[in-house]
Amino acid sequence: MIIERSSEWKEGFTERLENRETWDNWALYNMSYETVKTNLITDFYGLQSPKYLPNLTPLSHQLAVAETVIERMNGKAILADEVGLGKTIEAGLILKEYLIRGLVKKALILVPASLVNQWIEELNQKFHIPAMQYKKNYDLNHCTIVVMSIDMAKRSPHKENIYDQAYDLIIIDEAHKLKNHKTKNYEFVQNLKKKFCLLLTATPIQNDVFELFHLISLLKPGHLGNYETFQSSFSASKHDVEHDDYLKELVNQVMVRNRRQDTGIEWTNRHVQIIPIDFTTKEKEVYDLISQLKNVSPIFSDAFSMITLQREMCSSKEATCLTLDKMRLKCIRPGDISYIEEITRKLMGLEINSKAEKAYEIISQANDKVILFTEYRASQLYLQWFLNSKGVTSVLFNGQFNKNKREWMKQLFKEQAQVLIATESGSEGINLQFCHHVINYDLPWNPMKLEQRIGRVHRLGQEHDVHIYNLAIQNTIEDHILDLLHVKIGVFEKVVGELDDILSAYKKSI
Amino acid sequence: MYPQQIHGYLLQFFKENNCRILNDNDHYINVQLTIEMDKKIMNRPFYWKYLESTNGVPNPAQLTFITDKNKLVEDIKGEVVHFGSPRLSQLFQATNEMGSFVQMYEKVLDKPGERMILTPWLGVNYKISYYSDQTKEILYSLGINLMTGNVIEGFQESLSKVDLEKTVSGNTFNLPYIIKPIRALERLDAVIENSIQQDDHTWAEEAKMRWQKDRKVLEFFYEGVENKPDCYEIEKEAMDQQYEARIKIDIINGGLFYVK
Repeated sequence: MIIERSSEWKEGFTERLENRETWDNWALYNMSYETVKTNLITDFYGLQSPKYLPNLTPLSHQLAVAETVIERMNGKAILADEVGLGKTIEAGLILKEYLIRGLVKKALILVPASLVNQWIEELNQKFHIPAMQYKKNYDLNHCTIVVMSIDMAKRSPHKENIYDQAYDLIIIDEAHKLKNHKTKNYEFVQNLKKKFCLLLTATPIQNDVFELFHLISLLKPGHLGNYETFQSSFSASKHDVEHDDYLKELVNQVMVRNRRQDTGIEWTNRHVQIIPIDFTTKEKEVYDLISQLKNVSPIFSDAFSMITLQREMCSSKEATCLTLDKMRLKCIRPGDISYIEEITRKLMGLEINSKAEKAYEIISQANDKVILFTEYRASQLYLQWFLNSKGVTSVLFNGQFNKNKREWMKQLFKEQAQVLIATESGSEGINLQFCHHVINYDLPWNPMKLEQRIGRVHRLGQEHDVHIYNLAIQNTIEDHILDLLHVKIGVFEKVVGELDDILSAYKKSI
Repeated sequence: MYPQQIHGYLLQFFKENNCRILNDNDHYINVQLTIEMDKKIMNRPFYWKYLESTNGVPNPAQLTFITDKNKLVEDIKGEVVHFGSPRLSQLFQATNEMGSFVQMYEKVLDKPGERMILTPWLGVNYKISYYSDQTKEILYSLGINLMTGNVIEGFQESLSKVDLEKTVSGNTFNLPYIIKPIRALERLDAVIENSIQQDDHTWAEEAKMRWQKDRKVLEFFYEGVENKPDCYEIEKEAMDQQYEARIKIDIINGGLFYVK
């Protein structure tokens, strides 16, 4: 075994013995001994960090996670608590513990650009960890705890600079963004040396079980076998999960997940409902014309743009119109052009948007703050105009907004407007506990996006019951989306564990 | 450490370093730093360099430390100091630097016609740390009699009953040491190493088992892959570093003690 010692004290002692330096103060000598005694880590087990953080009162599930990760998972884990249970606090506790124990000297924290400031603030203020934001031209040799956006980190020359450092701990927030093993992000993280490593995500599976495989293979290659063995034993088709219990057991060795109800905290209830909507006859006519496009000409046969158009039609004519215009430009045959123009004419003639009317109805019944999520910028603008015409005030929220604008919009929403209209990209990193109603105006393909959206309001600090309205137009593509969402939720629950209600209060069995 | 203890600590620390306490309430302290202390803890080398090169009037900082925020009723601005706060760890560090080496004599009451003989000792406080992916620390306070070579444990505690001072009393006679202090230090080092060897090292065995288990998993992932990618080597190296059992010996402080 390696024994490290330094001759520094001996040298200093010799200096004094030979009268080249003066002796020190006796009181300070005693104080020094006492401090070391107080700070002594007397056991391999247990957490030291809480006594260093008197101003932070971690919840019991957060302490349990920190302890489990350090003692049972050897500091390599996926922290997969449900949204809003404080994964950042858990990661902070673990980092702090390792810093106190001297096991981590340098740490790298990779997060989405929009969350960099939040992390710096939390680490500095809550944990007294001197984390700093990485900026261009910084010398990483001098940054011990550094936070940077993963998009910056993966690019040259930053990538090379990072590889040159010996990081003891790597934390990656919103780690579900690494689900695709063919991306640059994935490759970048794969080649990082990960002594201790925490991956944070509320949604380790978004679409299929392979995402979890790739995530775990980043953390601990081989834990779920290699790709071939995993594929043959766990998946005949993508959505089918055999050997559920065995897989779950393996996953639980590297992943901790708390659900709201396990936390011992009184959570407010979540009322989730699907609101079925019927198109007007005129809307239905346009929708059917769009669905027929693929039979009209091979130029329209691209399934992806068909689905996009159908989904947009379920959202607003404004969103649909943009895509139709683009398609028309691609047309060559006069017949195709006139068909599209006919649809556009009928589309623009529509006077009622059934879904928007329903949304307005919900908003006025709620008579309270409401967040409305849409997938399309055009719908976002339309809805603001539409609500304004009904006398409802609203503010917009996009992912592209910088930190100041985000804060400003949040403030406006809190103090002046009744509705916040957000696009998908707005669903990360904002906390809006003062609001208790969420309308999912458009449904995403991915159930975890729904969970992220709901998590904006249903998180620690929420004092009221939360109402979720999932709008879906009957007999359209949205039926299909609903079905698929149910299937994906099923896969998630089989492998990862139960999920709080996100789609409706009644679970379909698959 | 409770707020009260921290309060006491700060008070003593600054007094011992000749910093004037301007205001001492039971939950906050207002202190005037000396020039030396300012240089040590205020982290402003440029100010001092500028001042010295321009022959300016030095103006060392006055600081207010709030040791118990909950009791604070006064409208006072200051640094909140608690266990774990960066300021306190800085002061711990400074204490350690300024309290590493001592030479102390037992105080002897003046009795006419009697000469007290004081025996020299070397006392050293050691901190042993065991590291793998987990840690544990042990404190040893050893003393060695420089006349006989006799070694005792718990030396620091045994000194707490003795009245010590920096200068030797007039009526005492210090025995010259037979064992040279540096030689004695080497003996204590050997005692420490011996007690490390005697200790139970299941922790290292366990770390090795965890390491082997993780290694197997990794090998399985790349089984049959002929040209293993770089990330395989990187992963392997990370694992070695994560589980490697290491022992670190630190000397906290120590010194020469002349006692009865």
